[in-house]
Amino acid sequence: MRKMVLLAAIGLVALAAPANAQGSKELVVYCSVLNEWCTLMVQEFEKKTGVKVTMTQKGSGETVTQLRAEAANPRADIFYGGVGDQHMEAAEAGLTVEYRSPMLAELHPWARRQAEQSGHRSVGIYAGALGFVWNSELLAKKKLDEPKCWADLLKPAYKDEIQMSNPSSSGTAYVTLATIIQIMGEEPAFAYLKKLHANINQYTRSGPAPVRNAARGETTIGINFLHDGVAEAAAGFPLKVAGPCEGTGYEIGSMSIVKGGKNPENARAWYDWALTAEIQNKAKTVKSFQVPSNMKASAPEQMPKLDQIKLIDYDFARYGSGVERKRIITRWEKEVGSLPK
Amino acid sequence: MAKSAASVEFRNVTKRYGGVTAVDNVSFTIEPGTLVTLLGPSGCGKTTTLRLIAGLEMASEGRIMIGGRDVTHLSAAERDVSMVFQSYALFPHMSVLDNVAYGPLVGGEPKAKAHAMARDKLEVVGLKGFDDRLPSELSGGQQQRVAVARALVLEPQVLLFDEPLSNLDAKLRRRVREDIRDLQRQLDLTVAYVTHDQQEALAVSDRVIVMANAVIAQSGAPRELYEEPASLFVADFIGDANIVPAELGPPNGHDGTARVRIGTLEKSLKHRGVKPGAIKVAIRPESLTLSPVKPNTPALEGRIAKAAYLGTHIEYTVTTALGDLFVVDRAVDRPLDPGAGTFITLADHGVTVVPG
Amino acid sequence: MTRAVRLWLAVGWAGALVLPWYAIDGSFWDFAWLAKYPGDATAPLLLQVLAHGRWWLLPVPLALLAATAALALGRDDARLARLLVGTGVAGLLLMLAEGAAIDHRGWSWAWLQALAGTSGPKQSGMGYGALVLSLAFVMLACQGLAARGWCRGDAFTVGAIALVVALVGVFVFFPVLEILFSAVKDNDGRFAPAEFVQKFFDRSVWGLDCLHSSLRCGVAWNTLFLAVVVGAGSTLIGLAFALIATRTDFPFKGLLKVMSVLPIITPPFVIGLAMILLFGRSGLVTGLLYDWFAVPRSRWIYGLQGVAIAQLLAFSPIAFLVLIGVVQGVSPSLEEASQTLRAKGWTTFNTVTLPLIRPGLANAFLLGFVESMADFGNPLVLAGNYEVLATKIFFAVVGASHDQGRAAVLAIILLAFTLGAFYAQHAWLGRKSYTTVTGKGDAGLAVPLPRGLRRLCYAVAGPFALLTAVTYATILIASFWNTVGRDYSLTLQHYVTGFSVEWGARGLHFTGSAWDSFWTTIQIAAVSAPLTAAIGLMTAYLLTRQKFAGQRAFEFGTMLSFAIPGTVIGVSYILAFNVPPIELTGTGVILVICFVFRNMPVGVRSGIAALSQIDKSLDEASLTLGARTFATVRRVVLPLLRPAMVSALVYSFVRAMTAVSAVIFLVTAQYNMATAYIVGRVEAGEYGLAIAYSNVLIAVMLGAILLIQLAVGERRLGRRQPQAVLAVQAGG
Repeated sequence: MRKMVLLAAIGLVALAAPANAQGSKELVVYCSVLNEWCTLMVQEFEKKTGVKVTMTQKGSGETVTQLRAEAANPRADIFYGGVGDQHMEAAEAGLTVEYRSPMLAELHPWARRQAEQSGHRSVGIYAGALGFVWNSELLAKKKLDEPKCWADLLKPAYKDEIQMSNPSSSGTAYVTLATIIQIMGEEPAFAYLKKLHANINQYTRSGPAPVRNAARGETTIGINFLHDGVAEAAAGFPLKVAGPCEGTGYEIGSMSIVKGGKNPENARAWYDWALTAEIQNKAKTVKSFQVPSNMKASAPEQMPKLDQIKLIDYDFARYGSGVERKRIITRWEKEVGSLPK
Repeated sequence: MAKSAASVEFRNVTKRYGGVTAVDNVSFTIEPGTLVTLLGPSGCGKTTTLRLIAGLEMASEGRIMIGGRDVTHLSAAERDVSMVFQSYALFPHMSVLDNVAYGPLVGGEPKAKAHAMARDKLEVVGLKGFDDRLPSELSGGQQQRVAVARALVLEPQVLLFDEPLSNLDAKLRRRVREDIRDLQRQLDLTVAYVTHDQQEALAVSDRVIVMANAVIAQSGAPRELYEEPASLFVADFIGDANIVPAELGPPNGHDGTARVRIGTLEKSLKHRGVKPGAIKVAIRPESLTLSPVKPNTPALEGRIAKAAYLGTHIEYTVTTALGDLFVVDRAVDRPLDPGAGTFITLADHGVTVVPG
Repeated sequence: MTRAVRLWLAVGWAGALVLPWYAIDGSFWDFAWLAKYPGDATAPLLLQVLAHGRWWLLPVPLALLAATAALALGRDDARLARLLVGTGVAGLLLMLAEGAAIDHRGWSWAWLQALAGTSGPKQSGMGYGALVLSLAFVMLACQGLAARGWCRGDAFTVGAIALVVALVGVFVFFPVLEILFSAVKDNDGRFAPAEFVQKFFDRSVWGLDCLHSSLRCGVAWNTLFLAVVVGAGSTLIGLAFALIATRTDFPFKGLLKVMSVLPIITPPFVIGLAMILLFGRSGLVTGLLYDWFAVPRSRWIYGLQGVAIAQLLAFSPIAFLVLIGVVQGVSPSLEEASQTLRAKGWTTFNTVTLPLIRPGLANAFLLGFVESMADFGNPLVLAGNYEVLATKIFFAVVGASHDQGRAAVLAIILLAFTLGAFYAQHAWLGRKSYTTVTGKGDAGLAVPLPRGLRRLCYAVAGPFALLTAVTYATILIASFWNTVGRDYSLTLQHYVTGFSVEWGARGLHFTGSAWDSFWTTIQIAAVSAPLTAAIGLMTAYLLTRQKFAGQRAFEFGTMLSFAIPGTVIGVSYILAFNVPPIELTGTGVILVICFVFRNMPVGVRSGIAALSQIDKSLDEASLTLGARTFATVRRVVLPLLRPAMVSALVYSFVRAMTAVSAVIFLVTAQYNMATAYIVGRVEAGEYGLAIAYSNVLIAVMLGAILLIQLAVGERRLGRRQPQAVLAVQAGG
């Protein structure tokens, strides 16, 4: 026992080396897209520049929490990926810095608008539309119609067949709320959500969970980002996706430079490079089917084209602000989330 | 023995636990090479006193000296004192030999020497050849002897016993206490010995310290305590005693005696500095003689209430005008039946005026 | 005493004169910093004052100088002890003050900035020099206290208490206070008590609507109910297994033990995942029930039932580990005594055995209760719409609303429940004596269970064992399915992806994607387990065998980090240790420390349960034989504590390998943990790889447990084996 403790003590001092020793040839990335995509980005960047990249993959919510906690002594240089709202919030909290990339000109207007609305503290790198994902086998077995419109979801036949994520925990769910409010207006939207409540079997905590559950037959229909559904379908699950007929909202996956990061030059180099068509085209090779923000990059063919989906004019400035976000979520929790099941 | 026995001295030692005082301003000295018993009812502070000597408790006030050295603030490990525990406290995971060799081993002796020392002491207590047994494989008496061997192995200046006989049967008890006394004399040890059994205390001690309610009630040689108890408590606690009211007359000149009237009886006793008037006397049960017929000398009338035959003697409870008296009668061939009337006379010894 | 004082003075001066005062950028042990030694960043304390103008450090070496000068008084001078205490405490306070006042950005406190009119001098986090010197200060003060008769004059005891208090203070109280303060602040860091009151009494927390309407009850009640159910259930199941393992002639005891230990070596959400694969709407069992008996497919597993079952699977083994040591420790002669008093088997069990194992039962319940409340993985996967505090806190921190204040408020409620459980346990156990291992050899034989009770034990343990078996079979097989939930053809692909090994030009290459996190996890778990066991058992020893002021508060403090959900701990560690004076984020050390202090309560609890059964006079006998406390602990206490030691080692190793919520904020690319990697796989829907990785972890932990058991060995108590008794009887 004594020997074990001694050995352990020696092991402990060996672990004392910090992860991100600072130097000119290094870069620390907090990555909030799928792990494969993150790894791909890191490998490609290292190959191209010789900079040693230290990457940590976490959900965007967790990353913002971490950036807040580390604000006094930031560890990261780049916050890559994740819902635009989170980047908006980081910008609002002063956790990220302003940077105007020379690549802005090559980007889709929606990506540029994300930059403008955040005061150039972030920029869009991909977009994903919200919609319906369903298990076609289950749907056929239960002899249900394919959902086409938001209004369809209220059909009594769908009782306990639909899943969406919980707005108090998931960014995806918040986009859903904001979308429905922007389509219908706030009061009718809440009336709609209360009726929808009867058909929802569970508000999952994480955003992509309804897709996973639909794929595995735990639910029939999920409200989700379409690219998540496409990825599962590509993995062999009987999933189908559709954009709602009334129109739908979308997320703008974004990227920001962390304020006070130790390697600002490398951070800017990554930023510019990550916006090029060349690297954005590679995302689909690792089963990420979002629409890239560079106009020269090609959208994945498995994905419903953004122009085939009726996209609403999403007001990121209003619905991305922390105050509005809190108000809407609190109202949902009070009026919908606490209703009897 | 290489080391000589040491004295133990308490100077105004007090031990408090929160608001409770377990030992209250106690002073005494244990002379080198003597066996001193701490005697008293449970809760009187005798075990705490022993633990204060060992260093298992730290004095709240006062000084403790061992062999003339101030050990008040020394930890148990730093004092040259060993202890035999009531439960023996043999290490259950070690063999007999390892138990006894423990002290020298942790003291830095090489294993071979420690084992040799241990075997030596095991032989002294008569447990040769039990080396590899586990404590659980020994009888109670054997376990006790291992505990003694373990305490002796370091040849301590002072050896402490905490009720060492309480887990043994009556016959074994007498033998072991004799063994302990022999060992103490033979090795010239200073021993402090805690017991609540007054017979055991009288049998083994050079001196007895009687404790009650955290203070010393009386200390002295066994005979002194028995014959001249300093208080009613001591009189009653050491041996049995009938405490009866009496009337003390004025001193008889300067020989230290006075007339004492006990009911219908009268006797000349040492007045022990007690003022004349109503007093209490202690009468040992064996100092009362019963006879079925009225003797010539003044006698106390009574009636037998209970009788118990114990082989060597008979114990009676006799109802008298002075109250119920406890009488031990050696005359086992002439038993008296309960209900019979009897006359009680006093022997010359075993009747004492008790101060306080 | 003076020898030890001289030693600690030498250590102190080494810290002040030789070692770099501030933390080194990069690794200390590659000694690259020697090239720049003694520069501004690497100079030791005295040079920092003299050559680099860090005047505020000056009082620190002066305190050490005073302590050295005091030595001239000689060992018998009573003033020496007082001076040592004074200088030691003063040195520590001075270090604390300068460390807190000045950080890497200048003055830390606004009033100091205002006073000085400048942003002030800067300094980075404390390094080895500071660490060694502060240790020396603590130990010098302890030498002084011991010389003044504290803890029966034993310097080791005083030092141990001081060390544990200091460690718990720095690594539990400090970060926890840091985050609890945020409960009374709003999101911008302003003091806002009204917001606290509103968050605290919110209907979503305390509502009782479920009692009289179809609305849901508050999350606090949900959590409490679940914890009580799981605490009681796991204690019962643990007891059944412990009794079967020790008091029956059940032939497959080894198997039983392994099976009951399996669930704790499983990342918790994997059990949840398996439950869904079995009992979910499209689960295997659900499918069979539908096909054979036309039981309609439902989502019953999502909710209280599902979480409770998964938690019982996960936490009953802890109860078993706690209880088996206690049941083994019950002295057979006590039971025999009862039987000779004409007590029937049942009566003996009820009146003697059961009361004697009460400390074990209470500890088992407390652990189950607290574990259930802090559990995060199972509710995450299975709770459905049943809200519990742990997940609620997690999403308050990382979820869409980023409400750290609310998380802190909920954490306080969770803490209050734990506190309640802790005191209830104390009240229930009272002051009765539970000593059953005494210094007197005990030759009795364990009494076999009465028949009725035996049947009851089997009835409880049987279904649980079956469920465990099915769950693990599923977990094992699922890792070979091509696509979990869809394509059930068998493949090795998941193992290849994670753990492929190639023989390249330069030898063996670990090319699988999981290897990095795997090695880190093993390393960190292996380092933290012995430290956890050591500090936990040492604390248990101090709590049961020593008396000192503030003991209760101290005991509670050691339980604190266990009671707080990992998420909160993770965030609080970042808040506390990302900036000077103690800068640890980004290192592996912070993970180890996090595990040590989060899992320490297990060592403490099982140590206390075991120690309360060992007669105190054994320690005292050792002391009077000249063994100091340290030798006593090593030679007498530890050998008797082996069962407690095994459970502490096993459990802290396993927890370090399977913890999720606490580490999610602390892992970095260099120090990534297996669980964080697995969660990532689950999020990405790669259940196959996640389960395959979990299987590898399970196998590793199983191996480790066997290794630990082998290394520590069985406790030798000298109770006769039944055969030995027969031999004795035959021999006369």
